Amino acid sequence: MPENELVEGLGLDEYQYGFVDDEAHVFRTRPGLDEDIVRQISKHKDEPEWMLEFRLKALKIYERKPMPTWGGDLSHLEATLDEIYFYVKPQEQMERSWDDVPDTIKTTFERLGIPEAEQKVLSGVGAQYESEMVYHSLKEEWSSKGVIFDSIEDGLKNHPDLFREHFATIIPAADNKFAALNSAVWSGGSFLYIPKGVQLDTPLQAYFRVNQERMGQFERTLIILDEGAQAHYIEGCTAPVYTTESFHSGVIEIVLKKDSRFRYTTIQNWSNNMYNLVTQRAVVNENATMEWLDGNLGSKLTMKYPSCYLVGEGAHGDIMSIAYASDGQHQDTGGKVVHVAPNTTSSITSKSISKGNGRSSYRGLCKVYEGAHNARSNVECDALLINSTSRTDTYPYIEIEEKRASVGHEATVSKIGDTQLFYLMSRGLTKEEAMALIVRGFIEPLAKQLPLEYAVELNRLIELEMEGSVG
Amino acid sequence: MSNSAQAVETSSAEEDIPSSLDGGAVERVSQGAPSWLSERRQHAWSVFEETPLPSTRSEEWRYTDVSRLLKFAELRVAPDGASGKGGTRPPGLTAAMDEDEAAAGHTMLVDGSVVHVDLDPALERQGVILTSLRSAVHEHGDLLEELLGTEVLPPEDGKFQALNAALWSDGVLIYVPRNVKLDLPIRTTRWVSHGGSAVFTRTLIVAEPGSQVSYVEELLSEDFERRTLASSAVEVIARDGAQVQYVCIQRLGRGVFCQSAQRTLAHRDSTLDTLNVNLGASVTRLDLNARLLGAGAHSDMLGLYFGDEDQHFDHNTSQDHIAPDTGSDLLYKGALDERSRAAFRGIIRVHPDAQRTDAYQTNRNLLLSDEARADSLPNLEIEADDVKCSHGASVGQLDSEALFYLLSRGLSQQQAERLVVLGFLGDVMTRLPLRGVVTKVTRAIERKLKSV
Repeated sequence: MPENELVEGLGLDEYQYGFVDDEAHVFRTRPGLDEDIVRQISKHKDEPEWMLEFRLKALKIYERKPMPTWGGDLSHLEATLDEIYFYVKPQEQMERSWDDVPDTIKTTFERLGIPEAEQKVLSGVGAQYESEMVYHSLKEEWSSKGVIFDSIEDGLKNHPDLFREHFATIIPAADNKFAALNSAVWSGGSFLYIPKGVQLDTPLQAYFRVNQERMGQFERTLIILDEGAQAHYIEGCTAPVYTTESFHSGVIEIVLKKDSRFRYTTIQNWSNNMYNLVTQRAVVNENATMEWLDGNLGSKLTMKYPSCYLVGEGAHGDIMSIAYASDGQHQDTGGKVVHVAPNTTSSITSKSISKGNGRSSYRGLCKVYEGAHNARSNVECDALLINSTSRTDTYPYIEIEEKRASVGHEATVSKIGDTQLFYLMSRGLTKEEAMALIVRGFIEPLAKQLPLEYAVELNRLIELEMEGSVG
Repeated sequence: MSNSAQAVETSSAEEDIPSSLDGGAVERVSQGAPSWLSERRQHAWSVFEETPLPSTRSEEWRYTDVSRLLKFAELRVAPDGASGKGGTRPPGLTAAMDEDEAAAGHTMLVDGSVVHVDLDPALERQGVILTSLRSAVHEHGDLLEELLGTEVLPPEDGKFQALNAALWSDGVLIYVPRNVKLDLPIRTTRWVSHGGSAVFTRTLIVAEPGSQVSYVEELLSEDFERRTLASSAVEVIARDGAQVQYVCIQRLGRGVFCQSAQRTLAHRDSTLDTLNVNLGASVTRLDLNARLLGAGAHSDMLGLYFGDEDQHFDHNTSQDHIAPDTGSDLLYKGALDERSRAAFRGIIRVHPDAQRTDAYQTNRNLLLSDEARADSLPNLEIEADDVKCSHGASVGQLDSEALFYLLSRGLSQQQAERLVVLGFLGDVMTRLPLRGVVTKVTRAIERKLKSV
């Protein structure tokens, strides 16, 4: 790693995923972005002409749209974007067996515990390294039932009609600046199709790893649940700690047909030099249920608002958000629920913790269109401040055009109570232990929804973070 | 009052010449004014010209499209209300004043000019000042120069604030000396009589340490075909330990764009409460900022609105906790019928030093028709850690259990609905039980309910 330097002594040593592999790419574009880069990416993927045209059109939209002025501080982003690599190809082809994945990359994922988890608790795994999926597999049991779990590129190649029917229909390129950017340079991500009535009993996992310094990762995921299908998809992300800034901008599109049920869990633990700007949206049809469980622990700045568009009668959307902002971090997260059809219901629960000079912001939208009779929505946000330098904000937008709707929003902000601390310390806990216990209790209602290994990881992280937070 | 008499003559000579909102209007309104005031007006006018029209692309104006609702070029400065024939008061104005209960003093404004002032002589002897701003410019110039449109509501706050600061024609000054307490409220009635006109008034209330004062003003007019602008700037200062209540009941006619900018400064251990009742006008825009500047200060911020037809309400409130140990509690409730719509944008800002802040914010909306719409943005920005803050917002329909109960007691559907609406809104007034206000507002709501 000639130009890479692992940053030490910044007090970030508790970030255990900060290790760096040797650079091992087979191709990468030059830094920065222009039409030529987009053409190169498309060529490397051997794409149909319509996709190249889509990318080029999206690039124009991206260039035309101004940088958002709300949310986090994006003032340094433009300079960062001029210097990053938009496409880094780590190996020639995607593998179906870990034995075929190059050793350096395989070791990385072993250190992250992915192959082990795959054997024990998962239905399928996708692993992305830099710009491409390096590994994808699905248990025979599910592939024989017609489940498709593949890289997004193979989805386009092998299922062109299904792909084209849904791609960019949920999140068009013009949706926002970063969706346009992703549409122009997307690479990697998953293509998932669950056929009618098939219900997966264990989760699918996609893992995203950025190793290259000054790297932009633009994964694109398209998920289709046919009628009555059920599945749970988990996304995890980490990166090494560099002094320079990196960029991750994903687009996740999900279609839930009638009576289907889907949960999308994200545990975002990027290193503290990562801009993480993600657009995630699900269109929920009749009597289907979409659940977003969104955990944001890492990154320098995250702006992410998972959305549910409830377009079918009786559709239900659930968004659960945990944000943890430590020194130098800004988590600008939340959720959007849009009620279009009658008898739709939704709930957003957000818990945030700000520590040191960290800042967590809840930003959300609850919109009820006229005609969505008996729509019901409830939003609850709780924020916990650990230090006097911590900051929290709440920006909920409530827009109601329907009389027969019921919508409520409640938010509270609090600090750890002196009486709570005193009680626990009088029982023999140290102040740090007591604080960690209170924080765990604060997020417990959401943490218990996490898969076990993530819940354990979250608790461990909180204990580490609470060390030295007293005073 | 010699100077206001002069102003009357000047403007009556010009009565037939419609005056646009332009630099010339600033010069005309500045005639005979001391230099600090003309300079302040000129400065405000240049700020107005430099400031772009608020756009729905900005967060603060997201739900109100000024470019569609108001054309500055079509407005004319209202002819001086003080020039009208004294004895003939519009019946609507007389009716409203007849409903008023006992008061420590009164003022009356017609088309932005004070036409009547009276104050209990006992209070006058204690040093209480109640006067028109026009005469205060000469009689209390130092006080105005120090406070009017400076730290409380500077023109830089926004385009409307700048326009008002440049063109205000008159207004009310209330000054209450140290430890003087008024048992009865001071009441003001403001009347607008010309369709297509623009009326700019200001109110400045200064309560010295340990004093107490309540101020109730009512805005009235008939309905107008042409868009009419009623612009007001309200500046309230409660010094250490003072207690101030400010109430505004807005019952302007249709056709009016009612724009009001209010800021309250609460110093150490003071209590500064506001109640804004918005029932009239076609468009209502309220910008209310409460600043809690001294430890122990507290502000209750109450609001109530009830819309029908195509009425549009936009409430933009903020609670700035700057000193430690301060409290604020905001409750805005509204009912919306027919095609009316309301937007509420509220923000609690807890500044870094404001430890032990206790701040609440609640906005509740009742939608009574399929076409009504309510948007609510209750925001929090917290930069201190030892705080108790919460906010809530809701939009819903009439409580079906309450309706059922009333129906089961033999009330008609309409009667029952009216009662539930009245109960929902009336809840706000129980928090500020000022003599005369509760009955007056309840009557106004009832009148509106009957016409539905």
